[in-house]
Amino acid sequence: MTLLVWAAVVLIGGAGSVARFLVDRTVSAWFGRSLPVGTLAVNISGATLLGFFAGAALTGDAALLAGTAFVGAYTTFSTWMIETQRLAEERVYVVAARNIVVSLLFGVTAAYLGQWIGAHL
Amino acid sequence: MTVDCFKVTTYFGERQRTGDKFLAEALLDLYERHDIHTSIVLRGTAGFGLRHHLRTDQTLSMSEDPPVAVIAVDTQAKIDALLDQQTALTKRGLITLERARMIHGDDDEPSPADKEHDAVKLTIYVGRKERAYGVPAYDAVVDLLYRRNLAGASVFLGVDGTVHGRRERARFFGRNADVPMMIIAVDAGNQITRVLPELRALLRNPLITIERIQVCKRDGQRFARPHSIPGVDEHGLSMWQKIMVYTSDAQRHNGLPIHRALIRQLRASDHARGATALRGIWGFHGDHAPHGDKVVQLGRHVPVTTIIVDTPDHIARTFDIVDDLTDEHGLVTSEMVPALLAVDGDDRRGGTALARHDY
Repeated sequence: MTLLVWAAVVLIGGAGSVARFLVDRTVSAWFGRSLPVGTLAVNISGATLLGFFAGAALTGDAALLAGTAFVGAYTTFSTWMIETQRLAEERVYVVAARNIVVSLLFGVTAAYLGQWIGAHL
Repeated sequence: MTVDCFKVTTYFGERQRTGDKFLAEALLDLYERHDIHTSIVLRGTAGFGLRHHLRTDQTLSMSEDPPVAVIAVDTQAKIDALLDQQTALTKRGLITLERARMIHGDDDEPSPADKEHDAVKLTIYVGRKERAYGVPAYDAVVDLLYRRNLAGASVFLGVDGTVHGRRERARFFGRNADVPMMIIAVDAGNQITRVLPELRALLRNPLITIERIQVCKRDGQRFARPHSIPGVDEHGLSMWQKIMVYTSDAQRHNGLPIHRALIRQLRASDHARGATALRGIWGFHGDHAPHGDKVVQLGRHVPVTTIIVDTPDHIARTFDIVDDLTDEHGLVTSEMVPALLAVDGDDRRGGTALARHDY
């Protein structure tokens, strides 16, 4: 591990969180309905991307920077959880449950697809 | 003794900046400099403005720019003195100017001679940690209003404000003891008049205003549509109207909290100019005992007030939507707004000259 790699983690991780903010805001503004689709879009696209990097069998620093730094900063578990909790708080329990189930189903499928694409490229 | 005063309210998005400051901060700095008797910054839970851009705290990335309402109350002369600066600071948003009467707590003269049948909105400002006979002041006030069978009361937490001209701003680390809270209660004029002496006895240095309103609906029962007033007064000054819908987070229409459904339908309509929903922390309406959030709970129990200001024509159309959504729950009031300025960059509509109309 060199200083250069650490600096790259900081920069790429920062870029990942900015990308998340922009994607989340844009998607929410366009399709803002009862389901928090911004976070869903971020997590699904992030799962695809991480699956892709895993399938492409990146190693060493490349895997660290692409996977942990970028996708790690881009996707967000905590936002998914707090938005689900806020839906429950407003008593739209069905939507809250849907937010969990849809994220899980699409997320695992997206990771699988990403991995398949990565492996076949 | 009551003093005629002006109430200026500004509705905008919290992240709006003016110069090197946030607008809310700049406004409060202005009120502090002008020694404004009472002002408060209230953060909303949902809303939209002239451009129909949705603001909501439902998703995390959107809750960084919530709607805010900043209210300032003082004598006409003092409000007049700052209006030009106030409107120059605001780059986008809605500014309304209303008449109210401030009740001075330090004398015992009987209170206002309202027409008996008129409904009145009572607004009381207390500090966050202010206490009355050993209990939190807001709790004591709401309890009193509940025991006197008022139609309802809601408590809102301010994040900044001026109290008797002194700036009180909430800080992350701090007791925030004197940061203002706002309590709104609604009922018939004579009913309000009756509780005023008790409120004065309860609070040491109360800040109280009263405004004349009309009660349109309560718990699904319709009393009247908002007064139909002309678009302009006899001097050609535009007139506006405000609807306030008091509901609870727990009251729903087709599965959605009423205030969310209301914001959604109004935003989808082609006429509504904007709406702001403020979530309270404590309150009651009707026979339900005062309620708020509990430590262990899933759904929330706090009161919510949705404020809609528009032209009388548009308010008539808005009321149809409100009427439909409040078929079971909620308190709906309307009042006249004698001056409004809608600002979107260089596009400024309306003005700050007050219309006069008897209805």
